[in-house]
Parts: sequence; structure tokens; C-alpha cells
Amino acid sequence: MEDSVITFLEKTLQRIPSSSLKSILSEWGFLSAEQLQDLHFQQSKHILHNKVLAFCEENGVRIRHVIQLDMIYNHEYPNKRNWSVYQFSGQEDDALVLNMTEFSQKFKVNLKDLLRHVSIGMKKCEDDAVWIRVAWGDNFTKPNQFKPTYVVYQLQTPYVFISNLNVKHRPLLSQALVIATKHDEIKEIQLRGRCLKSLKDLVLRRYKQSFQTHQLKPLQERNSPERDQGIVHEHAKRLADLKEVATQTFGDGPLPKLETAVFKLETKFKDPENRILTNRPEPFRCAVKFSSPSFLESLKSLVTLGIASAPVSPLLSSIPQKARNHFVISERGPGVPSTPAP
Amino acid sequence: MSVLKTFNKLPELNTANIMLVGSDVSDLEKLSRSIMDENHSFNVNVRLAQSLPLPVENEDSRPRIDLLVFMVNLRSSYSLSLAESSLKFIDPHYFLGKVYFLATGARSSHLSSDLLPSLRKLSASSHSPVLFADLESDSDRLSVARRFLTLLRIAAGLVPGASALFLNTLLKGAPASANEDPPN
Repeated sequence: MEDSVITFLEKTLQRIPSSSLKSILSEWGFLSAEQLQDLHFQQSKHILHNKVLAFCEENGVRIRHVIQLDMIYNHEYPNKRNWSVYQFSGQEDDALVLNMTEFSQKFKVNLKDLLRHVSIGMKKCEDDAVWIRVAWGDNFTKPNQFKPTYVVYQLQTPYVFISNLNVKHRPLLSQALVIATKHDEIKEIQLRGRCLKSLKDLVLRRYKQSFQTHQLKPLQERNSPERDQGIVHEHAKRLADLKEVATQTFGDGPLPKLETAVFKLETKFKDPENRILTNRPEPFRCAVKFSSPSFLESLKSLVTLGIASAPVSPLLSSIPQKARNHFVISERGPGVPSTPAP
Repeated sequence: MSVLKTFNKLPELNTANIMLVGSDVSDLEKLSRSIMDENHSFNVNVRLAQSLPLPVENEDSRPRIDLLVFMVNLRSSYSLSLAESSLKFIDPHYFLGKVYFLATGARSSHLSSDLLPSLRKLSASSHSPVLFADLESDSDRLSVARRFLTLLRIAAGLVPGASALFLNTLLKGAPASANEDPPN
């Protein structure tokens, strides 16, 4: 048994939290039913892992099995990774029904042609997504299994979500993807985040923004318990107004979970009192970054509590509609040098 | 500009009214719920406001306010300036023991160094004590709510023989004058 396989297996096992270890191992299916029963999942992680490693050695584990385990873990916990969104353009055939085997064949062949040592794992999941795991080596060294790139290709849509892609390997991967899916080119959209589901909802426009109809909700409609009846807000009208503005700008339902929004300003410095920095020919570069566990929700709460002044700047409120979170604002108005319009 | 007046309304039977003023709506609601949850032998009404002056529409429905509490978050200078500006819209009779400051967030490590002294100066100049609390855990809120209910009972005149002014002179937290050092 190779040492590298053991280390790889160990590292993968360590990342799996104890609560889901049982379900992930049973989904993996590499350990037999008796071996699974033998494991007592209340023991300490260290003892458990040693047992699992021993069983795997018995069953003769190989790299490809550990790759499967890694993919199952990442499918279960996609929110631990940072995802960037890419979009295909220029499809050759109009009604393209992608044949899974054809796609995987083409992809693997292409990538292996370009680089001798790559290790590719592919899995088709429910909800029409293909998960691809690529571990990169170069022409002389074996693939590095500890820094794989994950690609989630959403079938029937021109969107791909990629995580952990090195700049060196980007052209190779792009070429392989473009050829395998019969498109012309692939471009990165300015959308990044951790929550894969939110990113999917954003690009596929599944996130419905509220309609502009004015819904008047009387304040007494709340099913407040008896104790709340002694509590009266003096500025109740103002609070209700703020809440309405917030719901009008952001909609009623749950907002997609984005972690950051970055605005890069390339505008001229404008301050009549500061004579040193104004009137310079070159633009004043400045980047404003908002970060939060769920940036859009916190913005909505800020408006509801009255801490942020309403109306909210359209730069921020249009983020769910535009499905982007990196913006470059230049002199003529917000825009990005090179992005296809969604 | 409606000024909050002390005695222009009739008191209700066995009822006391407390008004909490602060910039953070969620803090106000937490404290008000803890106050309402506590067992009290008299009726308690809580009015919440973000700042004074109060909207004129509520003038008729608003009962006589027995105790005013200004919630100042020691992490935000905005809440302190809001409290300061709101003090102008109160009838001077309130300052005879019916106004209290509640300072929250004193345990935080990001304290801006000049908020607490400014708050103490403000409390000295208005002869109103400062109470410190944190509204994070249930037990914290419970103890604050109990203190305020005791103060409220006295301020509403429900305790025979004690009045808010009497209590004010007894409390250690009320500085005698602005020139004296606040008690540590």
C-alpha cells in the first residue's frame, strides 16, 4: 500500500465532521456492511480513523477510491470552498442535448492530451449537475491530490462553477471544457461566493424579487403574545415605513447568500476643499469592499433598523438582479470592461 | 415640537409607564420583553422610541410617563449624541429622579475611550444616574428588568413614603454636582 494513498485518505477523513462520518462512509460503499457495523461512531475521532484506515487497507484501497470519497465529501459540504462563476458563449448547435458519456470522454481525452499527469474524477449528481474533480501534476510529477480543482457544470445552462483553479491551469481547463461542451469560449463572470446554492439561484434567476405592488399590512395583524400588548412603539409608523422600503428594495423572501461585494472605483477625485488630489488627470483608484456572512441580508436589516439611510443606492440593491458582486465604476457610470451581459 | 410633560395627564389606577429611548431597536425590544415578562403586581406599559421629540400623533394615546430610560451603547457615539439631543425635549420636572441612563456594551474590548467620560458628564449635568448592563444573556436582562421595575414602582408613586426624588438623592450613582469626581 502506497504511503501517498494512506496520507491522502487520512487527510480526507480528517476533514469530515464526526456527525456525518457515518452517512458519508455508507454512501462511499467501499467498506463492507460488517466493517461498518464494527465501527462505533461514538468513539474518539482518532480511534475511528485508525480503524477505518485498517479496514481500507484490508480491502485494498486505491487512489481512485479515495478520490470518490473526496468528491462525496465536497458534494456534501460545498460551502467550504470559494466558487467563481464562468459562462460559456457561442454554442454551435442550437438544441444541444449533452450526452454524459460523450462529454466525459471528450473532456478526459482533451485534458490528458494537454497534460500528461492529471487525475480526473467525474460524477453526475441529481439536479442536473456534473461534478468534476481535477488534480494537477505536470509532465514530470504525479498529480497533487491535496489541491484539486472542483468544477460543477450545470447541464442545460451555460454556467460552470469552479473552485481553486490555479492561473497556470486555467487555459488548459478552459480549453478542455469548451471543446467537450461544443461551445466557442468561456469567460469569468464577476460573481464569487461560498454558497453554491445561492450562486446557482442568482445566475439562473431563480431568485424572485418582489413586485412593486403596495401591500398594506395593518400593524395589529401580528399574532403577538399577550405580554407584547403592553409594549408600544412611538415611532411605529416610521419603523413600518422603513420595513416597507427594505422589502421593496430587497424583496420578501430569503436573499441569496453572498459573502462580499467589491466596488473598484476608477473615478476622478472630487473634493473642492482638497486641492492636492483634485484636478489630476489620472483617475483615483480606490476599492470598497463589503464583507459579511450574508451581505445582502445584513444590508436589508440595516435598512429596517434605520441605521442605513433609505433609499438604498442602486449599486447595492441591484446586486441580486445583475448577479454580480465585483464591480468597476469608471467615469461614465458603472460597468465592467469585458463581460458578456447575462 | 412636542415636549414630554410630566404632569399634564392623569395617572391610571395601579399602572406605571416606562419609556425606553435608544437608537438600537432590537436592544429596546429585548429589554421591554424582559420587563414585561417579570412578575409585577401592577400594570406596566412600555413605550419605545428611537429619539425625542415624539410624533405628535401619539400625543392623545400616550399615557403619563413615569420613568424615562435612555439607552446608550458605549460602542456607538451616535447613540450618545441621540440621547443628548433628546434631553432637550423633556420637561425639567423629569430630571428630579425620573430619568436614568442605561449604558450597554461596557464589556466590549473595542470601547472608544471618550464615550464613557462624556456619558458621565452628561449624567452629572442632568442629575440622572447611570446604570450599567449587558443585554446579551437572559439572566443579565432579568436583573436589569428587576432593577427598573423597582425604580418604576417608586417613580409611579406606588410605594407609600418613597418618591423618585427621594430615591435620587439616596442612590450612589447620582453625582452631586458636575464639579465633583464621579464615584468609582
